[in-house]
Amino acid sequence: MTGPLVAFPEIVRLTLRQQLGRRRTLLLVLLAALPPLLALVYRAFGEVDVSGFTDSVFEPVSLTIVLPLATVLFGTGAFGAENDEGTILYLLAKPISRWVIVAAKAFAAVALSLVLTVASVLVAGAIEVVPAGSDGVSATEAYVGAMVVGSLCYVTLFLTLSLFTRRALVLGIGYSLVWEGALSSLLPGIANLSVRQYALGAADSFYQLHTEAARLSPTTALTLSAILIVVALALATWRLMRFELSGSTD
Amino acid sequence: MTAQTIPAADQAVAPPVIELANAARWYGNVVAVNDVSFSLGAGVTGLLGPNGAGKTTLLHMLAGFLAPSAGTVHVLGRSPHRDPSVYRQIGLVPERESAYAFLTGYEYVRFNARLQGMRNADSAARAAIERVGLEDAADRAIGTYSKGMRQRAKVAGALVHDPQVLLLDEPFNGMDPRQRLSMMDLLGEMAAAGRTILFSSHILEEVERIGTEILVLVSGRLAASGDFRAIRALMTDRPHSITIRSSDDRRLATTLMADPAVFAVELKENALSVQTAHLSAFRRIIAVAGRTAGVRLMEVVPADESLESVFDYLVRR
Repeated sequence: MTGPLVAFPEIVRLTLRQQLGRRRTLLLVLLAALPPLLALVYRAFGEVDVSGFTDSVFEPVSLTIVLPLATVLFGTGAFGAENDEGTILYLLAKPISRWVIVAAKAFAAVALSLVLTVASVLVAGAIEVVPAGSDGVSATEAYVGAMVVGSLCYVTLFLTLSLFTRRALVLGIGYSLVWEGALSSLLPGIANLSVRQYALGAADSFYQLHTEAARLSPTTALTLSAILIVVALALATWRLMRFELSGSTD
Repeated sequence: MTAQTIPAADQAVAPPVIELANAARWYGNVVAVNDVSFSLGAGVTGLLGPNGAGKTTLLHMLAGFLAPSAGTVHVLGRSPHRDPSVYRQIGLVPERESAYAFLTGYEYVRFNARLQGMRNADSAARAAIERVGLEDAADRAIGTYSKGMRQRAKVAGALVHDPQVLLLDEPFNGMDPRQRLSMMDLLGEMAAAGRTILFSSHILEEVERIGTEILVLVSGRLAASGDFRAIRALMTDRPHSITIRSSDDRRLATTLMADPAVFAVELKENALSVQTAHLSAFRRIIAVAGRTAGVRLMEVVPADESLESVFDYLVRR
């Protein structure tokens, strides 16, 4: 079998080029530019307001829109592009452990998501809240932490979903909008099964968020995040080990 | 339908590289491959069959991407299903045209070499590209390639690690005649070097040109396997057609019609077409008939020993 140290970087490089060449990545870059643009608008028209910016941009835009969209597109696209174009056979017809393929694909998708979402938060924070002092630095750190935890969880979740269904993109967006958006406000227990809550819980360890937003303690959030990532990657590997070509009578 | 198998002499000595025993694959109520058994050693074998005969399903089973619903499939002595380590010895060229469009031909082949764990991936990739004659386009993105060039890049990627077994699904699709000839030579060279090559094709001329060993699938069943000329000889329920040119076709026809081994004679322009059920008997009598009639034989050619003729017979019966 080809060693992971050889195969891993090759598959990461391939996945990065595959994803960066897609038109949707350009749209994501434009979307990620939204928080910094809003920060410029805030800066131009108002005082530095850490909690105001956090409540009206970091949480509703960065955490609720940019992060889920970036991760669902990169996460489902990691294997989705291979499935759509029929190139997955070139990867699987190689003497490589399936966990190496899953890990490399997830690594590339998480890396892309991190670059986009963390950069978006850092630039927006630097423009609007960091000048406010330590409070602003903490708020920016909090949402950088949320982007890191959110990227890891969402990407592994959506990547795994894409190995089980061709409708992973729609299901992923539905999960974010319906499950985490609409249902979680009606059913507080959903927090335990919400990546957004894991990200907010992680952010809470850096910055005291208002109680309505973060429903999980940092410890609980990080523990559930770790469980989700491990289970999702194990499921994805299991699925890839049992990969079969779809039905054909020819 | 019963398979007519002509065992190769050397298969009894060397263990088979590919071996199917009563292998079947079905999807719900649809049977794609049904109770197929054969074994292959080194050499080139053409996998033939009409559309929907089960050729691709069979190749996917051999490549480990489909489990047999019944029976066994072995490549190099073990089941290829869910065993990634077997790909060290297998090269696969799938039918689907897709390749990584954003990679250059060289990058694609090198990528394959790296995933095979080859230390000398750069030189191996260059050598494989040279073998398929893609040097001039090696540094262009595959997305800009013609269909035939993409096929060649796929073949280069599949053989870069010099596999023991090469499985190719319609490898000549999209290639121009010159590229086809070159690819056939390449497969022939690999077979001569002891590799086992199984390729599907719907163009019988290609199969006939590369070699004589065939597997014929019809409706998921193995209709015949072995040397197609030997298979033709076994088709005793189908008369052999022989074209003869002589110094006096009409006189020869009169003599031949009296022989019980001949059951039809047709005079054509500058030739005589004879139908016989017993080719070996006919070979014995034709010289005698020529002498008896006082006719000089100039040409005696079997008219229906082509692969096309064999295939047509197997598929239609």
